[in-house]
Formats: sequence, C-alpha cells, structure tokens
Amino acid sequence: MTVASVNSECYAFQAFKVTSPILVVGDVFMTNINYPFLAGTYSSQMHRVSKLSFPLRPALFLLVPMAIALLAACTPENNQSTFGTAGPIAEDQADLFKFIFWIAAIVFILVEGAVIFIAIKFRRRSDSDKLPYQTHGNTRLEITWTVIPIFILAIIAVPTLTQIWEQQNLVPQDQGQVLNIEAIGHQWWFEFRYPDHEVVTSNELHIPVNRPVAFKLDSQDVIHSFWVPKIAGKVDMVPLNDNYMWMIGDEVGTYYGQCAEFCGIAHAHMRFRVIVDTEEDFQAWVAGMHTAPNAPVAGSPEASGKNLFAANCSSCHTNDSTSPGSYAREISSQQARWNGWISDIENSGIVSAPNLTNFGQHSTIGAGLKDLNKETLEQWITDPSSIKIGTRMQKHAAVYDTSDGAVKLSPTEVSDIATFLLSLKPGSAPAGSVVEASGDVDGAEVFATNCASCHSTGDNTVVGPGLAGIGDRAGTLVDGLSADEYIEQSIREPGAFIVDGFPAVMPGWSHLGDDSIDALVTYLKTLK
Amino acid sequence: MTTKSLTFPQAFPRPKSSSGIWSWLGTVDHKRIGTMYGIVSFIWFIVGGIEAMLMRLQLSSAENDLIGPEAYNQLFTMHGTTMVFLVIMPLSAAFFNWLIPLQIGARDVAFPRLNALSFWIFLFGGLIINASWITGNAPNGGWFGYAPNSGATFNPGMGMTYWVVGLNVLGVASIAAGLNFIVTILNMRAPGMSMFKVPIFTWMTLITSVLIVLAMPILAVAGIMLMTDRVYGTHFFNSLGGGDPVMWQHIFWLFGHPEVYILILPAMGIVSEVLPTFARKPLFGYPFVVFAGAAIAFMGWFVWSHHMFTVGLGPAANTAFSISTMLIAVPTGVKIFNWLGTLWGGNIRLNTPMLFSISFIAMFTIGGLSGVIHASPPTDAQQQDTYFVVAHFHYVLVGGALLGIFSGIYFWWPKFTGYFLNEKLGIANWALMLIGFNLQFAPMHWLGMDGMPRRIYTYAENMGWESSNLASTIGGFILALGILVFIINVFYSKMNKVIAGNDPWDGRTLEWATSSPPPVHDFDEIPQVQYRDDFWFKKYPETISEYYHDEHDLVPKGALLDDETEEASPVVSGGAEGHGDDHGHSAIHLPDMSYYPFILSFGVAIIGAGFLTNTYVIGAGVPFLLWGLFGWSMEPVNDPE
Amino acid sequence: MTQAAATEHHAPVENTSTGLNSRKLMMWAFLGSDVMFFGAFIATYLVYRGKSLVGPYPSEILDIPITSVSTFVLLMSSLAMVLGLHYVKEGQKNKGTIWILIVVVLGAVFMGFQFFEFKTFAHEGLTPRTNIFGTTFFILTGIHGAHVTIGVIWMAILAYGSHKGTLRSDNSLDLEIAGLYWHFVDIVWIVIFTVIYLISATDGPPLGVGPTIVH
Repeated sequence: MTVASVNSECYAFQAFKVTSPILVVGDVFMTNINYPFLAGTYSSQMHRVSKLSFPLRPALFLLVPMAIALLAACTPENNQSTFGTAGPIAEDQADLFKFIFWIAAIVFILVEGAVIFIAIKFRRRSDSDKLPYQTHGNTRLEITWTVIPIFILAIIAVPTLTQIWEQQNLVPQDQGQVLNIEAIGHQWWFEFRYPDHEVVTSNELHIPVNRPVAFKLDSQDVIHSFWVPKIAGKVDMVPLNDNYMWMIGDEVGTYYGQCAEFCGIAHAHMRFRVIVDTEEDFQAWVAGMHTAPNAPVAGSPEASGKNLFAANCSSCHTNDSTSPGSYAREISSQQARWNGWISDIENSGIVSAPNLTNFGQHSTIGAGLKDLNKETLEQWITDPSSIKIGTRMQKHAAVYDTSDGAVKLSPTEVSDIATFLLSLKPGSAPAGSVVEASGDVDGAEVFATNCASCHSTGDNTVVGPGLAGIGDRAGTLVDGLSADEYIEQSIREPGAFIVDGFPAVMPGWSHLGDDSIDALVTYLKTLK
Repeated sequence: MTTKSLTFPQAFPRPKSSSGIWSWLGTVDHKRIGTMYGIVSFIWFIVGGIEAMLMRLQLSSAENDLIGPEAYNQLFTMHGTTMVFLVIMPLSAAFFNWLIPLQIGARDVAFPRLNALSFWIFLFGGLIINASWITGNAPNGGWFGYAPNSGATFNPGMGMTYWVVGLNVLGVASIAAGLNFIVTILNMRAPGMSMFKVPIFTWMTLITSVLIVLAMPILAVAGIMLMTDRVYGTHFFNSLGGGDPVMWQHIFWLFGHPEVYILILPAMGIVSEVLPTFARKPLFGYPFVVFAGAAIAFMGWFVWSHHMFTVGLGPAANTAFSISTMLIAVPTGVKIFNWLGTLWGGNIRLNTPMLFSISFIAMFTIGGLSGVIHASPPTDAQQQDTYFVVAHFHYVLVGGALLGIFSGIYFWWPKFTGYFLNEKLGIANWALMLIGFNLQFAPMHWLGMDGMPRRIYTYAENMGWESSNLASTIGGFILALGILVFIINVFYSKMNKVIAGNDPWDGRTLEWATSSPPPVHDFDEIPQVQYRDDFWFKKYPETISEYYHDEHDLVPKGALLDDETEEASPVVSGGAEGHGDDHGHSAIHLPDMSYYPFILSFGVAIIGAGFLTNTYVIGAGVPFLLWGLFGWSMEPVNDPE
Repeated sequence: MTQAAATEHHAPVENTSTGLNSRKLMMWAFLGSDVMFFGAFIATYLVYRGKSLVGPYPSEILDIPITSVSTFVLLMSSLAMVLGLHYVKEGQKNKGTIWILIVVVLGAVFMGFQFFEFKTFAHEGLTPRTNIFGTTFFILTGIHGAHVTIGVIWMAILAYGSHKGTLRSDNSLDLEIAGLYWHFVDIVWIVIFTVIYLISATDGPPLGVGPTIVH
C-alpha cells in the first residue's frame, strides 16, 4: 500500500481526533446544562422573555462543527481516501476541493461568527424592554450582499470549468501512449477488457504507471459506478450509454476501487483493485495473460480439479483466454451468458461470470472482498453467499442445490477445484503459443469439457435441450440437411436453428476446430 | 331564496358533532386538519427515525451482521421516502393549514373539503407505502428509484410497486393541497392585505405551493412510467427495449430538485417569522427575502442535472448545470444575510423557538457551503454517492428544514393549544438535537472524503471508517434522545399547563390577534389590514414612521394602501365553495362538515391497493370514488337551515 | 326570471382579493399543473423518438388522414363548447343543452377514433410492449384519452343539468370551468398531433439499428 502525497496540515488534527469527538462535545455542553435563564420566571401572559445574559456556549457550540469539519480533511492514508492521491486527476480534484473548501471555510467563519457575535451583542439584557428601531431594510446593503457571492462563485467557477474540460473531454495524447480499456459492470463484479492487447480479466485491473488509460465504461444490467478514489473520481456505468473517462496512475501500487452507485443486494460487496505496474511489469503481465498454464500432471489434484471445473464451472467461467481468438470468443460467450440469464432470470442455468484466466495470479476473491488463498477459495466454492450475499453463481449454477444452495461436490472435489484454480498461472510455454490437440480427439471428452454444463445426454433440459436421440431426430428437422450437417451447423452457428421454447443463447463453437467438431458430431449421434 | 339543485341520496346524515371520532372524520376545519397532519406526520417521523437508528446501528462497526443487506436496502429506501414525503412535506402542510388562514385573516382555506381530501389521501398514501413492511415487501430500490434497478427485471418483488403506487397517491394529495393554498393565499386575504403585506411565511407557502403544483405532476409521470414498466412490460426505462435508464434520472430529478426547495422553503418561512419576533424588529429587507424565495423556486428548475454529474452527460452539460447550481447559492445567501440583518440591532430574546431558528441559520449555512463544494463537477466526481453528500443534505434537511419546523412548533404551540411548551425541556430538546445532529452528520463529511460510498450495508475493517461511523451512531442516538425529550415535553406541558394568552411572544402578524387557541371561525371580526406586520404596528403605532419613512414606503395614515380594496368588503366567510352564496356581511357562516372527502379518499386508497393486489380490488374502489365524487359535487357547502 | 335578469351577461364581481372566482383560479392553477404532466410525457416521447429497436415504426403504421379527421372532430367540439357556454349564459336553455350535447358527442366520436386506432395498431402488431415507440405512443395518447373521457362524462353531467334546469346563466361558471378544462385538453391534442403524427410520420428504423447491448 503506498500513500502518495500526504497533506501535512492534516496531521495537526490527528492528536485532536484521539480524544473521541463525543468527549469534546461532552466537555463543552454536558458539564453545565443549568443555563441561568432556565431559572428565570416568566410573566405568564406577555413577553415571556429570557432574562439571562447568554453565555459563551453558542460560540463553543459552533466551534465543534468547525473542528469536525477541519478533521474531515484528514486520513489520506486510508485505502479509499480522496486525499492520498496517486494520480493527477485525483490530485487536481483534491486540490480543487481544498481551494473551494478554504473559500467556504472563510465564508463559514464569517457567517457563523456573525451569528454568534450578533446573538451575544444584541441579546436582551436585564429587563430592558426598549424597542429596537423598526428598520425596513437597506437596499444598498442588500444589493452588496447579493453581488459579493456572485464574485466569490465566479472565483470558484474558473478552476471548476477548467477542470471539467480537462477531465471529461478527450484523453490527452501527449502524455504517453494511451492504453484503452473497456470496463463493464455486472451485478456484482467488474469485467475488464484490453482491446489493444486482447486480454480479458476481472476484478483486478492492471495498468501501467504514468500512461494515460482511456476507459469505455458500460454495464449489462443496472447502473454501476466506476471509482478508484486515489486515482480519479467516479463515472457511472450505464446500460446502453457508453461513458468515457481517462486516468493516469502516477505511483506504482495497489489501489482500492468500489462501485459507488446503488446496484442491488450486493452493492456493498462490489469492489475491485487497480494494480498500477511499472511498464515492464505491465508488459510481463500482458504476456502472461497470453501464456497458457502448464498442463496438470495426470492424476494430480490439479488434473482432477481441471476436469471437475470443465464439467461444473466452465459454461460460465472461461479460464483459458490465452490463445489467439479467445478474446473475441470470450466477448461473444459473455454476451450469450447474459442472453441466457435475461431470458429466464429465475431458472437460467447460465449467468455472466468473471473470466478466470490465470486466476492464480489474483490476490483477492469475490470482487476484492477477501484475500485469495486456498481456504477462502474453498469457502467461496462451497458457499459463495457466506462471502458475498446474493451471488448469482449459487442460484444459477447446476452444481448448487436449488433448494438450499448446498454445493453438490465433496470436500475433496472442492479442494481439487481450488487447487486447480490456484495453479492457473502463466506456464512455461512461450507466449502466444497454442497447445495443439494431438492425435485422436475423443468426442465424449470434447462434450464433457465444452457442452455438458448446458446440455445433458439424457432427455432433461439444463439450459439447452437434452441430446438423447439427437442422431435420430437431426436428419428430420430441416429438409435437405442430413443429421451430420444439421448437428454440425448447430454447433457452428447455433442461431440457425433454435428449438422452440429455448432462448437463443448458445454461442458458436467453430473455434473448437474441425477435428473436435467431427468427433463431437460422431459422439452425439451415438446418444440414445 | 331556494334554488333548485340536483340532489344525491344520502347514505347517512351529514356529520354535525363537534367532538368524538366522527367530528374528525367529517371535519373541514383547517385547524383540525392541520392538527391531524401534524400528528400523523410526527408518527411517521418516529417510524423514519427508527429506520435511521437501525441503519446507524448496522453501520456502527465494520463487517457488522446485525441487519442483512436486504433489510438494509429496505430501510434506507423507506427512511428517505418517509422523511421526504411523509414527514417534512406534511409537517410543513400542518403549518400551512394551521397558519395560512390565520395569517391572512381568513376564516378557512378556499376549499375546506378539498383540504380534508388532501389530508385523507395523504394518510392512506402513507399507509399504502408502509403496508409493505407488513406484507414483507418493503421497497428496496432507494428513494430515488433509479431504473433499471427499480424495474421488474432486477427488482422482481412487489416492493417498488408499493413505492410507486404510494407516491402517486401522495402526489394527488400534495397537488390538491398545493392548489388549495395557492387559491387561498391569492384570493382569501383580509381587506387591505396586498401581496406585499402578507406575512413572509405565507409568501413562502405560496411559492412552495406553486412548486408542488408544478413539480409533483412530474413525479406522477415518472411513477406512471415506472409502474407500466413494472406491471405491463413497457420499455420506458428498459435498456433492452430501447428505453434509457438515464431518462428516469432526468425525470426524477426534474421533480426532485424543486422538491428540495419544497422541503426547505416552508422552514425558511418559519424562521423568517421567528427571527423578527424574537429580535423585536421587522424582517430586514422583506422584498429581498420574497424575491430571493421566488428566485430560488425559479432557478430550482434549472439545476436538476447536478444530481447527475457522474452520469456522463458530457462536459458541456456539466458546465451549464455547474454554473446554474452555483448561482442558486446567491439568493440562498441573500436570505441568510437578511436574517442576520434582522438580528442586527435587535433586542434578542433567546427562547426555544429563537434558539432553533438561530441554529437553523448556522446549520443551514454549513449545508449550503458543502453544496457549493459539490456544485463543482470535478470535486463532485469524488463526492457523488458518498457520505459527503449524505452529510450535505442532512445539514440542509435536518439542520435546515427540521430545525425550522421545530422552531415553528415551539413558536406557534401556544397559538395552537393555548399553553406554552415547557422552556427547560425545550432547551434540553434543542441542545440534544443540535449536539446529536452535529455529531451524527459532521463525521460523514470526512467519511465521504475517505471514500465511503452511500447505501452500503457494511464495510471492511481495513478502510478506516469505523471510529467516524461509531461517533455518527452515537450522535444519532443523542438526536433521538432530543426527540424523546420533545415528546416528553408535549405531555409534560399538557399536564402542567402554563396558559399563554393571545400574544405571548409580542408577535407581529395576524394570527396573534385572535385568541389562543383560535375559535372555530378564527376571527370574530375579519381584520382590516393597513401595514406589513399589521398587528405589530397597530400595537406600537409610534414605530410606524420608523418602518415607513422612505418615500415609496410612505403610508397615507389611515388610508388603505391597496388598489384592489377600493370596493373591499369583508371576505366571504367559509371559503370559496360558497361562491357568492352568502353576502351577509356580518354573519359568520362556516362550511358544514362532510364525510365525502373521506369516502372519496377511501376509494382512491382502495384503487391504489388494487394495483398492488388484483384488478377486482380496483373495481371495488371505484364505487367509493364515484360515491365520494357525486355526493360531494351535489352536496351544498351549507345545508339549508 | 328576476334572477336571470339580475345576473346579466357578465360574471358578477367576485368577492375575493383578486376579484377572480376561486374555483376558476384553481382550474387555471390545475391546468398549469397538467401542463407539466403532459409536458413530461411529450418530452419523453421526443427524447425516445426514433429509438425503437424493432418495428412497426411510425412511418409504417401511422394513418395521418384518419387522425386528421379525429383531430378536426375534437377541434370542432371546442367550438361547440364556446357556443354552449354562450347560450347557457344567455339563458337559452334548449340551445345550450344541445350544444353541450354536441360537445359530448364529438368527444365521444374522438374517443371512438382512438379506440379504433388502438385496435388497428394492436392488430398490426404494435402494442405498448412492442417497442419504445409503442410504449411512448400508447401511454401518451392513452393519458390524453383518459382526460377526454373525464371531460366527456363531465360534459354529459352538465348537459343533463342544463336539461333539468340546474345549470343556468347564474351558475354558468360551472360550465365555464369545465370549458377551460375542455379547451385545454384540445390544445394538448394539437401538440400531441403535431409531435406524434406530423413530425414523426416519416420516422423509420434508426440508423444502424440493432440491439447492441455489449460489444
């Protein structure tokens, strides 16, 4: 955790804060509540007036909020403090805040001072019933105090407008090569896409230090807000309304971010991290995101976890977006998952989910909620709601019991999946290489890895229709197409033939390659 | 002179009793209606306060699991909705009802039965929204109901439907009341009371009523759209069907910002009455204060997008709305300076109402200044949707509106009841409220600057937010204790009555001219008005020349100032519903009681409930609606004697 | 008869601070409120113009000639309203009753046109759920139709009153206030007709249409 600039003036108040505010207030007010005028007697009919000279208490009274207001400018070391800035935008915004704050503070002191002064100076003394002069006003004076605020506001407006056009207009082109990122809010996690690098990741955003990063912000479901307090103020992520913002992180470190727009039940848990890397680290990270993990050793927990993951998790979580073309595929898959969920919100077996490529590199889990380790990961898999309430995974994934949300996996299996996920780190293969499928392809295995989470081999519906007897049916469904052609086309372009009553959510699978698809068709025809 | 008119079969006789439950159900007396507004909204105030305290308990420590997110979301939605629509607005309406006829020297409002209708609909609207707690479907999409999170797709329960239906029902009540007060103030003034002689509270009521009448329909539109989206599957805010969620925000805040002034202007009016009375000086620069109020109300229509600085409207829109928002601080500042000018040179008596009013200036100033800070979009980018904003608007609405209302309660209680509220308890009430309030909300400023977003039900331990939140929670309970002292005060004062007399504070306006409490007909004789602060200048005629000394202010002694009053005759008693029926100048003739407002509002309530249950219930409500409507329209204001 | 002679043709001076009748003043204030109500719906329509993702689009479905006829009918009802009020003030009971009845009939005919239009549109595949044009069109014109319906019922009651002799020249204010409402509803229709039918008549699919939700 690094703290960028620290406002030295703030520390003056740290000691003050040690005394809990309640004590301060208590000292001022509670020690002596017997105001002299409380004892005053009233004439019951007319002019029930207080007879006291009012003590200095109102003055102290107003000092408390002042002291508290000053305290507000402190604690830049806090994780989301807008004062401990690590980027020029946040710094400008904090400076502008301080500028307006001090102007406001002067006005505050003048007005509150005047209130106290007047209340004391012109308080009723003794029993004097002298009527004050019944003045009706003073036009010149009133015009003066109408005009003066306009000047003060004009002073505030100048830097305000300058900053609006700096921050909300175009990303600067003269401060280094711009990195483009598309950030997408989902209930309740963040997806980050790097179109320049064809990288997609979730919840932990890597950016290079001292380079402008241009964001395109979007959402699929409700409105979220993208906010990294130490680097830049927030901009909302609104469905169908692309928003743009830019920022520069000028100090290497990990920064906290959080959704700032109320977005439903887990709004409080929708957090993320921004990791500002050196240029070298960033490039290494990008390269790593294109490097597949080493294949697990047969028989190891990782290998078992890999199969379990493929069978239970992979329809929603992509974990292998390292190969060329996988970026575009992930985008269409994510869209298909969304379409699947929106077409049947209650019972959908599929839902938008974070991309877990090289998940072992992450430092947190559950959108920045907990440190990532085997224990928390197992807890997450076993009962996601215990970490983040409302998690869609527990409701929609077939691996959880629909009635009580219990995971349908043994502790060993959970442990294997966790081990597998933690092992997902860039392997030793050179960046960009694709592990070629070698030799014969087993259609059953292709099915288990890619299709089984949505299609059963029986008659029952998971997300898509059950595929028992597909070989017999397929030839009869469309005139002029043989069973092989129908099945193959359904795999490559699922939109071509949608079975009645099912949502058009299946993504195309041409990327499996001809061999795999042939094997898959052969396998499917064997299903009875 | 009997005229032939259509008659409507009466199911039961017209109410006559002046005591017991039936006298309340059938009342058309503005004072009784005001009392009912006051009591009912105070009950909602306690409900909303309990909701707030539950939230504060939940937030008092990190990772607290006292209340789950589901309940928390319901609590903050209902707290906001309750405090805005069921507390501050109707508490102001209680003052409107009680005071407007008294301040302008009338015997009732222009439309007494419509007034009763407003109250009953308000009552049922509040019950509809809060019934959601009982059915376990409390709204959970925020009082701002941002689409699409408030739509059926992402919020499938009944909660937000309750919210929409309840708000639309309340909107009807508000609009009806607003129309009534506009007409009352314009048309029912005592002879001689030109617009620039009406008390400042009446002015602020007029401005507020105009805002209500113009702003509430926009909320109704938003509500209808959200309702059809939720229930009938239209696409107003559904991004999948071509609708735009940002449109909701535009419509909601186009209503929502004038609403802010609907909440604060009445309190400003109260303070503008209390300060002169206890400083024993006239309001400094009356025309400026009036114009500032009108300017605020006008400019309030052009600032709504400052709630949306982070929505991505672009730099041009943000620039425009930033400037308009800053400019609205100018008339607000004028009011504060004029209040200080009122106090300057006064003979200030620091009684409870005055303490509340002075605190109003102090606290409202803080809220105003923090408002200027986030009128600047770049700083707002850090503050929007954080606790800084929560602190800001609580300084305006609690430190402003609520302190003003409490000031009014202590000020006019002797007029309403005939006896004082206890001064000792009053000061304890004031001190606890003010201390608690500051301790609760001042730390929220720095919580916001430390990056704590709003509407989160929990937060991590490593964020550094715990001590501030704890202080805030403690402050909240001190504030609640202050309210408890107020309740004790009400009962204590009732049991130990200190009789106040007609004019306990040496008042300035007409309500102090009549007895305390006022008779049913308000004034035995309709006053003839010559001056601003007429009652004062008639008490202290030697001071007239001090106030009216400039040429343009010169008062022809003994002459009426008003052009319109050339042919002035005493204002028709009993309101406009009599429209010229009784030209009897001396007879005090009040409108008779009526059950129809209650029946009509009951029909509205059943129809509202029908939207929440099923269509047959709507059908069940229609007969009541028609019964109320026809019975009402064919019922004479006064039965023939 | 003496009564009718006493009240003459102009409204009596009202005994109020402004000299305006309170109920009339309230109707004006209410119409101000209703302006905001319709204004918000019309603004919404305009913002959403041309944003429909699927058809039918306005250019495919709006029938301007037929709606022009119904618009003409509604405008004529305002004329009838003026005449009705004139004769009621004059104390000519039968003429007054007939002209008010004509208002009722013309209003009902307009509603018939609207009912027919809604039915046709539904038949052609446009409902409030079809697209954003359907949503904004049906709710805006539907809300206006509700206003007309209330007006028709109100006028029918007044026509009955005029027939029975309870609506006379001395309380013709009842009719005048209803007339204010009726004229307002007409004027709103002119705006709606302009905005929906005339301006949007050629609106087809938006450029580059297609539900692109996420890239």
